[in-house]
This record gives sequence, C-alpha cells and structure tokens, in this order.
Amino acid sequence: MTLAARDITKRFGGLTALAQVSLELKPGEVHGLIGPNGSGKTTLLNLFSGYYRPDGGNIVIDETEISDATVQKRAGLGVARTFQKPRLLPTLSVLDNAMLGGWRDARAGFLATAFSLPQVKADERELRSRAEELLHGVGLSHAIGRRANLLEHAEQRFLEIARGLAQRPRFLLLDEPAGGLTPAEIEHLGAVIRVMRESGVGVLLVEHHTDFVFRISDRVTTLDVGAVIKHGTPDEVKRDPEVIRVYLGA
Amino acid sequence: MKFPNRAVAILIVMAALITLPWWSGDLYKLHLAALICTYWVLIGGLNLVVGYSGQLSIGHVGLLAIGAYCFAILAGTHGMHPAFAIAASGALCALCGLLLGLPSLRLPGFYFAMATLAFALIVTEITLAQGNLTGGGVGLPVPGFPPPFDTPRGTYWLILAIAVLVTWLAWNVARHTWGRGLVAVRDSAVTAQAVGVPVFRAKLTVFVFSGFTAGVAGALFAVLQSYITPDTFVFDLGLFFFVCIIIGGRGHIIGPAIGTIVLTALPEMVAPLAKLGNFFYGLLLLAVVLLVPEGIGRVFEILIEHFRPRRGESHVVKPDLERLARAIENGQSK
Amino acid sequence: MRWMFVALITGLATGALYASAALTYNVMFSTSKVLSVTTGHISMLGGIFGAWFISTLGWPIPVALLGSMVVGALFGLLTDLIAIRRVLARSDEHLWLLSTLALATMVQQAAGLWWGTEPKPFPRLIPQDFSAGLGDQKYWLPIAIAILLAVALEVFYRRTLYGKLFVAMSEDAFAARARGIPTGRIRSMSYVIAGAMGGLAGFAAGQLTFAYFALGLTLTLNGFIALAVGGLGSNVGALVGGAALGILSAVATYFVGGEYQQTISVGLLMVVLLLKPAGLFGSQSVRPV
Repeated sequence: MTLAARDITKRFGGLTALAQVSLELKPGEVHGLIGPNGSGKTTLLNLFSGYYRPDGGNIVIDETEISDATVQKRAGLGVARTFQKPRLLPTLSVLDNAMLGGWRDARAGFLATAFSLPQVKADERELRSRAEELLHGVGLSHAIGRRANLLEHAEQRFLEIARGLAQRPRFLLLDEPAGGLTPAEIEHLGAVIRVMRESGVGVLLVEHHTDFVFRISDRVTTLDVGAVIKHGTPDEVKRDPEVIRVYLGA
Repeated sequence: MKFPNRAVAILIVMAALITLPWWSGDLYKLHLAALICTYWVLIGGLNLVVGYSGQLSIGHVGLLAIGAYCFAILAGTHGMHPAFAIAASGALCALCGLLLGLPSLRLPGFYFAMATLAFALIVTEITLAQGNLTGGGVGLPVPGFPPPFDTPRGTYWLILAIAVLVTWLAWNVARHTWGRGLVAVRDSAVTAQAVGVPVFRAKLTVFVFSGFTAGVAGALFAVLQSYITPDTFVFDLGLFFFVCIIIGGRGHIIGPAIGTIVLTALPEMVAPLAKLGNFFYGLLLLAVVLLVPEGIGRVFEILIEHFRPRRGESHVVKPDLERLARAIENGQSK
Repeated sequence: MRWMFVALITGLATGALYASAALTYNVMFSTSKVLSVTTGHISMLGGIFGAWFISTLGWPIPVALLGSMVVGALFGLLTDLIAIRRVLARSDEHLWLLSTLALATMVQQAAGLWWGTEPKPFPRLIPQDFSAGLGDQKYWLPIAIAILLAVALEVFYRRTLYGKLFVAMSEDAFAARARGIPTGRIRSMSYVIAGAMGGLAGFAAGQLTFAYFALGLTLTLNGFIALAVGGLGSNVGALVGGAALGILSAVATYFVGGEYQQTISVGLLMVVLLLKPAGLFGSQSVRPV
C-alpha cells in the first residue's frame, strides 16, 4: 500500500531536473522532502500528482503503474495535494471550497443532480457535515461561511489542507505548507500533520523549514540538483556530512 | 437567505408571475413577458456554460435558430404535434451542442469564442442557402400551440412553466457538487484536476445541456414570432444573451435572471435606448467589466453584507485535533 | 476561364486584408498577450473614415490616408487605455475578452448609427478607369499594403530599438519589466502602431470592401482564422494564412457559389488546427490564452 517513485528522470529541454530519483511514501508515515532551491522537490511532487510525466522510471501505487495516469485518475486512487501558492476559488465560501474535495465521491451524474434526486441530497448533506468537521478540525471554525478571498494567508493554507482531506486521501502531498506561517501556526500545522499520520494517511512534506521537517518526519529524503544525496531517519540525515555541506556551503 | 424567508420570497415571485396576465396591462406587455421567459429558457442553460464553467460562448443564437427552424419545419411543414416538435428541437440542438463542443471546448478562450461566433454565422449561411428546407431568405411560418395553450395567456403560462423548470434544473446543478466543480473549472482548472473533476467532460456536459435548452427556447421563440427568417437570428441576439449573464453576475442564477428581465424590457420602455440598440449593451458590458466585474448580483451581495450585524472578524487558526482525527477516520471507513 | 482568374485575384486581395488584420493581431498580442476583438474594427474605421474624408470632406487623398491612419492609431490607443490597461491588472483571465468585445460592439454600432448600415462606395485613390480588369487597384492595393506592412514590421523588429523592445516584451514581459523597460508605455505604443496599420489596411482595401460598418466583426473573425492558420506570432504565417483563406474562399465561391463562404473558411481552420494546432508557422511555445 505505498506510493512510490522508482528511478525517476525528468528533463525540461536541455535541463535535467531529476536524475534517477526514488522515493517511497507509506501510509501512516510522514516523509519529508528537503533540498535547496532548484533541487527538484516541486518537480517530484508534480510527478507524483500527475501534472508531469516522467521521462524515465515510473510512478506506482500498490504496484500499479500510474506514470501516465491523469491527475484526476490519481485523485480517484487517493492521491491529494496542496499547492505552493494556495489555489482557492475566491468567489465561493470556505465551506464550499472544502466541499470541492468531495468531487470524487459524487456518485450522482449531471442529470441526477439537475433533478435533485434523493441520492444527490443525501450525498450533499453527508459531504457538508464531513467538510464542516474537517474545517473545525484544522482550525477554521471562525471562517466557515466566509468568502474565500477574504482569508489571510495562513487560513488559506489550512483550507487547502481541509480540502485535500475532504478527498479522503490515502496520500496527501503538501507543497511547502509552512511557507509564510508564524511559529505558532507552524506548531498547529505540525499537530495537524501528526493527526493525519495517526489516522493512517501517508504525508509527503516538501518543505524549506528543515527544523520543522526534522521534528515531524519519520523519514527524510534530501535532494540536490536533481539527485538524492541522503535518505533515512531525521537523525541520520541531519548528521550526514553531504547534507550539511549542501545546506551550509563547503 | 435563511430558509423560511427564501421560501416566502419564492412564493411571492411565483404568485406574481402566474398572475401576470391580469396585472400587466395590455397584450403587448404579456407578449413581452412571454419573450423574456423564452429568452430565460436559453439563458438559464447558457448560464451554466458562461457563468459557471466560464466558457465564453457568444454564438448560442445559432442554436436558437436551429431549434426554431426545427420546430417550424416539423410542426409546420410536416404537421408534427408541437409537444414532440419542441422535444425534437431540444434533442437536435443538444446534438449540435455536442458536435460544436467536441472540437472547440479544448481551445483556449479567445479561440473558443471565435469558434462560437463562426458557428452562429455559419448557421445563418446554411439557413439562407438551404432554401428548400428553410424557405431561404423568405423564411417560414410557424404554427401555434394546440389548445389550451393557443391563447396569449395560455402561451405565456406554458413558456413560464418551462422557464421555471429550467431554472429549477440549473439551480440544482449550481448548488450541489457539480456547481462547485464547474466553478473550479472556471476559476482554477489546476485545482479542478487535483480534486478529480474531468474538466473537458464537465464543460462538454453543460454545453450539451445548454444546447438542449437553446433548442427548446428556439421552438418557443418561433411560436412567439409566428414567422421566422434568417434575419431574426442575428449575431447581436447571441451577444445579448451573453451580456445578460455577465452583467447579472457569473456564478449566480438570480443575477442573470434579473439581467434578462431588465435588458429585454429596458429598450422597450425607454425608446431612445431602443435606437441605440447594441451600443447600449456594449456600454453596459464595458461598464460592468471595468467597475464591477463580478456583475450586478455581486453589488447586491455587498449591499446585503453591509446591513448585516458586524461581529469582530477573527483570523486565528485554532485546530481541534480530536474532531480532526474523527473526521479523517470517518472518511476512511467509507 | 477568365472568371477563374478574377476569383483568384479577388481571393488574394481579400486574403491580403485578412493577412493585414492578422499582422495587427500579432503586434497587439506581442506586448499584451491579448487577442483583441476590436482588431477588425480598426480597418473598418479606416475604410469608413477614408471614404468620409475624401468624398464628404473633400480632402486630398494623401491627407485622407494619413487621417485614416491617425483614426486607426487613436482607436488602437483607446483600446489599450479603456479595454486593456485596467483589465490586465486583475487576475481574472478572460476579462480582456469581455472588455474588447464590449468596445468592439460599441464602435460597430456607433459607426452604423453615424455612417448608416448600407455599404457605401469608396472613392478611387489612383487615377485609373474601371476597365483595368485584373489590374484594377482594388485588387493590388490591399496586396501591396499587406506585403509592405509585413516587411515594415520585420525592419522595425530587427533594426530599431523600439522594435527590439517589443520582441523582448513578447518573449518575457516579466523579465522585461525587471530590466526597467516601461512595459505599459511600450504596450500603448504597440496598440497605436497596430491601429495605424489597421487603418491603413482598411483604407487600401476600401474599394474592395466598400465603406461598411459591419465589416468589423467579419474581419475580426476572418483575420483571426488567417492568424490561427498561419500561426500565432508569425508574420509570415499571417501572410500565408491570409492568402490561403482568401484563395480558398474565392475558389470555393467560384465552384460552389458564394453561399457557404463562412462554412468553408471555418472548415479550413478546423482542418489546420486538427493537423497542426499551433498553425502552419506557429511555435508550440506561444500559448494563446
């Protein structure tokens, strides 16, 4: 039950963004992905979620090849993500934005929805209450009915997490979720991620805040110029001379 | 609006609409009301395409024309029962919507708009050229509805019923998961993909639906006109439909409905505006785009917000971890 | 047989007008990444004002020519100031489509109200009697102008400072701004230039199209088809696309009759887009929004 990248290579024109990178994400585990700017972290995340296709190697979920699967198909298989710059629907409420994550569960088609069949109404009620609980859970009780374009940055980030959780994901890929958060908010983020892990969600945490990553991850992978330079427990990675060199300069 | 208030408001509006033949004055105003309802049958469906999924179709008048001619030919030339003819018009235009949407919905915004414009012009070309079928430049007479809908009142009530039905269908789509998915397609296709919305299929589905409503509207329109020629379906009319939605506000149902009523009735009541014709619509569109791009519907929303009691707005994120754990586990047991 | 040649030369001439419109699209797109619905209307104004200046006001032809170019340039500037400037700042991607559509509608209606809805004849520009047949100026004026505009653009882009700034902006507006290039002013300048070009093209083609208010929308559409066929961003493509469209329409008219012109031109567009979505000379990197 893993989501894995195996020997992934990705090129953009003449530039090799990733070279033979492997990473395995297990359920109930937080896997940190760190590296300097340009090391390929977001590229790898985009390959996992399906916005890019690999040039070499493959992406598998439970041994099923999904390298060419669309983003939507992967969402259906339980892969959710947040974005580096939060992408919300500004004209809808916070609740509606969170409920957007319930798309994959919508069993009723267009016509059934148009005629407001009982199944549609039942699905909507269930989704609404689950989304509300998730919003309370991530800490947005005060903003449930608010228009999304009135949210401050931290609220936007937590809303994206709520939306991702509304997808009932097996794996949640977080793209620099701590960006722009205060230390207190980062603590909250850590607590939320821990709850996700306890509940069995596999979390990929792409981040710049290396302290935060080391504190909260079960395993850490470090990239530099498109290659893995160290993989292991936070302690192992923290003490690795290559990692120290890359971050502190030789 | 809270539940009882909204239900009451809807009841009042429905009562007013149903009793309109008695308080509206002369037959001309009744005809105008029927025309507005007919336009709304098309616009209500088009709203899902333009206002919700964000596809800027400016050429829907072409579908209106196909629906109108289909009805005139089936019910008039071939004597089919009008009920079947209306359904056939809807079905034919749904098919045309599919054929038009398949190649063009993949195109970027401007390309798509130009494709729909070209479609409207092509429909006019073909109706002029296929004289045997369509009467060419001379046009076709259109039979009326059978009793009890053959009186002006009966016609109005029939069209009103269809308009209410279309409103209900569109409203259902808009307020459930489909509606949110469509807004995602409009405002952030990347997000739509991430949550699993089949972007192209969603656009195509509402486009086909809007084809169906346009076809039905075309049949009703033909009956109201009682005689149709290619000149009836100029591009300006397609632009008018589009403008009603933008001015009324994308992402709303009520806004475009009010927009339709106001923009149809205004030139009728204010004579100088009628002379200006399209200039007026263009000016309004420009004003809305520059000043209130979200439409007049949004202006009302803002006004309502102003009169709501203000509470101190908090922006502090405070997770409730137990609730979170339960919610996640709840989701997993499905 | 002679009629075939007339059809061909008519096609080339109308195609040249479409090509000029496509060139105008390119100039405006290069600095703003916007395809303006008002493109065809610029040439419409060039034709109508040209006819007005010469026939009604009695101006000498060179002055009227300049006047038409000024009218076009002013309309181009107006498009930028009203429909583009404020709208580009907002995040909503397709607002410019709405604003240029609105402006185009207003201009077309205003022209119809002022000039009348019937096409009016455009005066002779160069002394020539009407028996010249295939050599009539109404054919080769638009063709000459289209080629002239394309050549002038190439010289402008390659040899002048401002032209190079245009190219820089079209490749990466963000980087251009970061290097201190006044992108707002450059954009306005490009719209002024595009306007002058469109006005000139409309003036030159006036004898072919007549001074007609409804020309705006059809030229916006056909100019766009020429642009899409030839490839967005390519001036050579604009010429080729326009020529292809014009000749195809004319030949089809000759064989099938004039009733299916629009259908055939769109058919051409669909075929090209299916085979090569970026157009004949377009590059994949140019992503039209």
